[in-house]
Amino acid sequence: MRRTLVSGSALFLLLALGCPPAADAQTRDDTLVYALQSDVDTWDPPNSVLREAIILGYHVFDHLAVRDLKTRRVVPNLALSWKALNDTTWEVKLRQGVKFHDGSPFTARDVKATFERVLDPTKKMTARGNHAKIKSVEIVDDHTVKFHTDGPYPIFVERLTALVMASEKVIKDKGHEWMQEHPIGTGPYKLVKWDRKHEHLLVRNDEYWGPKAPYKYVRIRIIPEQATQIAELISGGVDVIKAVPPDQIDVINKSGQARTASSPILRTAFLQLDQAARSGPNPFTDRRVRQAANLATDMDGIIKHVLNGLGDRVATAVNPMAFGFDAGLKPYKQDLAAAKKLLAEAGYPSGVDIVYNQGPPTVEPGLLQTDEAIVADLTKAGFRVKQNYVGDNTVFVARIKDSKAGPMFSFSWGYYSVFDADAILYDIFKCKETYAYYCNPAMDDLIIQGRSTLDQKKRAEVYAKAQKLAFDDAAYLFKWGLRGVWGISNRVDYQAPPDEVDRMFLVTPRKK
Amino acid sequence: MKAVSARGEVVLEADEPAALRAGPPRMSLRRLWRFKWGVAATAIILTIVGSAVWAPWISPWDPLSVDIRHRLGPPAWMDGGTRAHVLGTDQVGRDLLSRVIYGGRVSLIIGVAAVLVSSSIGVLLGLAAGYFAGRMDWTIMTLVNVMLTFPFVLLALAVIAVLGPSLVNMIIVLGIADWPLYARVIRAETLAIREREFILAGRALGMSHARLVFRQILPNLVSVIVVIATLQVARVIILESFLSFLGLGVQPPTPAWGNMLGEGRVYMLNSWWIATFPGLAIFVTTLAINLMGNALRDWLDPHMKL
Amino acid sequence: MKRYALRQLLQLGVVVVGISMLAFAILHVIGDPVLLLLPLNAGKEEYERYHKLLGLDKPVYVQYWKFASRAVQGDFGKSWYTDTPAFTLVLERMPPTLYLTSAGLVAALLIALPLGILAALKRHSLVDNLCTMLAVAGQAMPIFWLGIMLIIVFAVRLKALPASGYGTWQHFLMPAFTLGAFLAPLTMRLVRSGVIEIMNMDYIRTARAKGVGENTVVVKHAFRNACIPIITVLGLQFGQLLGGAIVTETVFAWPGVATLTVESIRNQDFPVVQCAVVLLALIIVSVNFLVDMIVGLIDPRIRLG
Repeated sequence: MRRTLVSGSALFLLLALGCPPAADAQTRDDTLVYALQSDVDTWDPPNSVLREAIILGYHVFDHLAVRDLKTRRVVPNLALSWKALNDTTWEVKLRQGVKFHDGSPFTARDVKATFERVLDPTKKMTARGNHAKIKSVEIVDDHTVKFHTDGPYPIFVERLTALVMASEKVIKDKGHEWMQEHPIGTGPYKLVKWDRKHEHLLVRNDEYWGPKAPYKYVRIRIIPEQATQIAELISGGVDVIKAVPPDQIDVINKSGQARTASSPILRTAFLQLDQAARSGPNPFTDRRVRQAANLATDMDGIIKHVLNGLGDRVATAVNPMAFGFDAGLKPYKQDLAAAKKLLAEAGYPSGVDIVYNQGPPTVEPGLLQTDEAIVADLTKAGFRVKQNYVGDNTVFVARIKDSKAGPMFSFSWGYYSVFDADAILYDIFKCKETYAYYCNPAMDDLIIQGRSTLDQKKRAEVYAKAQKLAFDDAAYLFKWGLRGVWGISNRVDYQAPPDEVDRMFLVTPRKK
Repeated sequence: MKAVSARGEVVLEADEPAALRAGPPRMSLRRLWRFKWGVAATAIILTIVGSAVWAPWISPWDPLSVDIRHRLGPPAWMDGGTRAHVLGTDQVGRDLLSRVIYGGRVSLIIGVAAVLVSSSIGVLLGLAAGYFAGRMDWTIMTLVNVMLTFPFVLLALAVIAVLGPSLVNMIIVLGIADWPLYARVIRAETLAIREREFILAGRALGMSHARLVFRQILPNLVSVIVVIATLQVARVIILESFLSFLGLGVQPPTPAWGNMLGEGRVYMLNSWWIATFPGLAIFVTTLAINLMGNALRDWLDPHMKL
Repeated sequence: MKRYALRQLLQLGVVVVGISMLAFAILHVIGDPVLLLLPLNAGKEEYERYHKLLGLDKPVYVQYWKFASRAVQGDFGKSWYTDTPAFTLVLERMPPTLYLTSAGLVAALLIALPLGILAALKRHSLVDNLCTMLAVAGQAMPIFWLGIMLIIVFAVRLKALPASGYGTWQHFLMPAFTLGAFLAPLTMRLVRSGVIEIMNMDYIRTARAKGVGENTVVVKHAFRNACIPIITVLGLQFGQLLGGAIVTETVFAWPGVATLTVESIRNQDFPVVQCAVVLLALIIVSVNFLVDMIVGLIDPRIRLG
């Protein structure tokens, strides 16, 4: 019996030691390590809903257009130029001399094949909805494409940054399933191997048409636990991490091994109030109660004391970086007396009971702390807040979609990287949309107007009106535009990206 | 209790566990000294329970009162700490000592209630399986195996996603998760006991099943049940913290040791006190429970295999 | 003996089927998976299209029947997230978890055996209680607290071990220890009581009379006696280990099947959850089966009961 035990243990130990070896040909100097909290489900970006897939897609694929991080305008990438021929036709000219990783040349046929694949209703490509306004893609010649849209499509140019170009040959010859694990793009890196939920290894594409990436290898490690990520950063195991919670900034900065960098990002946070009564009758259907809530809270103070200044106050939910943002509109200033008065006028002289559905801090680090501060403020004005915290994001989002999140819940919106007011107004303020708990026909009109013309000046005016309406009507409890915080190892130089897309091909080693 | 045959022969063996002999074990000061560790542990537990019961009187602050300007304050003996907040404050400025004290209430209530639920279910099913044997045994043991193999996470997620995270639902989840352990042990013990002559004698005399099970068999198992239940309270407290780790436990802002630990884990690198003190509370409590359980076992029945 | 084996096998089968049914039912109760598969701004027609595509518009028992009939052939369908076969996904992630749990069991034994024996030899003394405390300490600290503490001490402060990840034997040390500490208390308790029992037995007295070293005798025979309950409990623990594995894998960024299961549950990726649950159940049940067989061989009373 004892012998069995001993040999059993020996077997276990053998198994333990015989696990896969590190198998790295790379050295520390030519490898960059980037950490993600969760892994992508697929290397086929239009088939994924995850931001991680977008980020990884930027490394192996190219888009027709990209956003210039300094000017924040859309600039050519695989497309050299674009022009609206009329309200429903766009002509795009493509770059020449670009090759896919398998050697085949990039032409108009690949653009057509990529779009048709995504738009095909019989497949379940998740990005279909984003590009559904495109009716058809017409090949004019090898390097010119015409897009025919279903009605005017003003964010066409923005959306050029939202689809990676795949190879027609791969789509036809290899098929959908193969493409989930084998990305063949035109991008600055190629995928060497993918250990699901463990790590990815990318190697530099030395035939890239654009600037050469400084690091030859990029290792993308999946580290779900935030404390572990920070530990890895300050012990040298990882070079770049994102979404650092504000309270942990000093740990990184004091470590001597790494530092933090922040940037305003496209995400805006707010508390949605159930004006549309989706979850049933509630006090927030009355504008005075909504205004009282906005007047009760000292958002500026919260940003200063709780977020250590890492937030940009906004008057509505439109982000300062989005097209159509009205900088002239000033946000609510805290005024507890006015708030109490409004509550009394609305019929709640001795305060009002409300339930606050809180989600977990998955995309908004620091949410828990700022929420507590907001609740404390609301309580001072007479709102008796019952907090209902849901720790699981899946459950929380499901409740919202199911109209069960009223009368008040915490939320934020990332705009899907479209720097345009339409990208939030439509989804959050338009009657009956999945995430909209506000319903106002006047707002709906403005939203439709905004998307029905290509005249940017006119659109700006429309959006200014929409924001004033949202503000005067106190559609929601407005908070701020988020700032992302990145942790960066002292051995590299890296700029925090305002579109939350980490580009490892822009990271350079620090000069000693 | 001695089983005597019709001819007056003593039919019981002499190495019967103490539980089958008459009366509870004798208490004396000397005996207490032998179990000094258990006594100390019991004293600690009584203190913890006491502080939980009298929490509103001994807690210096309201555990829910938020004070943004004093968030992340260190414990009193460190630089920047104050006597007002002996153990420091958490990420929104709530006093840690008060939260630990109130957290004890929640953790202990969950622990005891869940154990009551799981022991009731488990003992009943274990008795049924062991006593009736045959197909009933097979069915119940299959159920036990299903429960033991079934991922606890799935169960917890299901219950809480459907019913919502609340104290009662947590007790239900933890109660359902743990009953197989009791069932297994009780079944084994029942199987052993039912062959004893006094049981067979009882059947022959025409005693009903219920009477036999509840009046004759069960009393002999009380020691085992008590010891297991005591130890399981510790385990449930740990499970509660596991659920909080997944975001399914007692939801903030209600303090419970588990969710305080969960919230504080990212702070272990700088404001370590937020996670460490509830962690210590769990540690001390479960340690004391284990030592007390050990002592209980030795006191009631030194031959118990647990 | 054969009849016993057959009965246990039958139970094994029923258990696995029961588990898959229970998992299926629960998944359908949790919520609508399509809500999570589409991006936030997808419209209503997209939802309905997806529902049809995934077969979710049919009644539950029809769906279960389709699942079960394919599953016995090894086809668990394709993951709704990645379009790759669920079976491959789960199988890929099995080895790291199995390695981790085995290493954890070994670590647990390494902790529990010496402590248990020591505690038994010096029962009721300070040493006994200290050993208990040490063993219990591992379980009394929530795993993630222990894990993060270890990372802070060994990776950040001492820079002696990699903080997380999978690949070399150094990556094994902290996770295995964390998991092992979790399992140690119960194992130690059994070792201790096994040794105590032996100490009072006749053949020990005989050995003493013969002049053989007391402690050697005790240890040798204690092993044999404690083996049964230890094996039984380790078998039982294997199922509980998965719970501990989830936390350990998360904290140490270990690419195992436990975290895959939790994520798939959260994402309501039914095919993967079903596959993981069924495969894990098969493994656990097989381990228990082996345990029951071994124990049944040694102690006939149990199998006739």
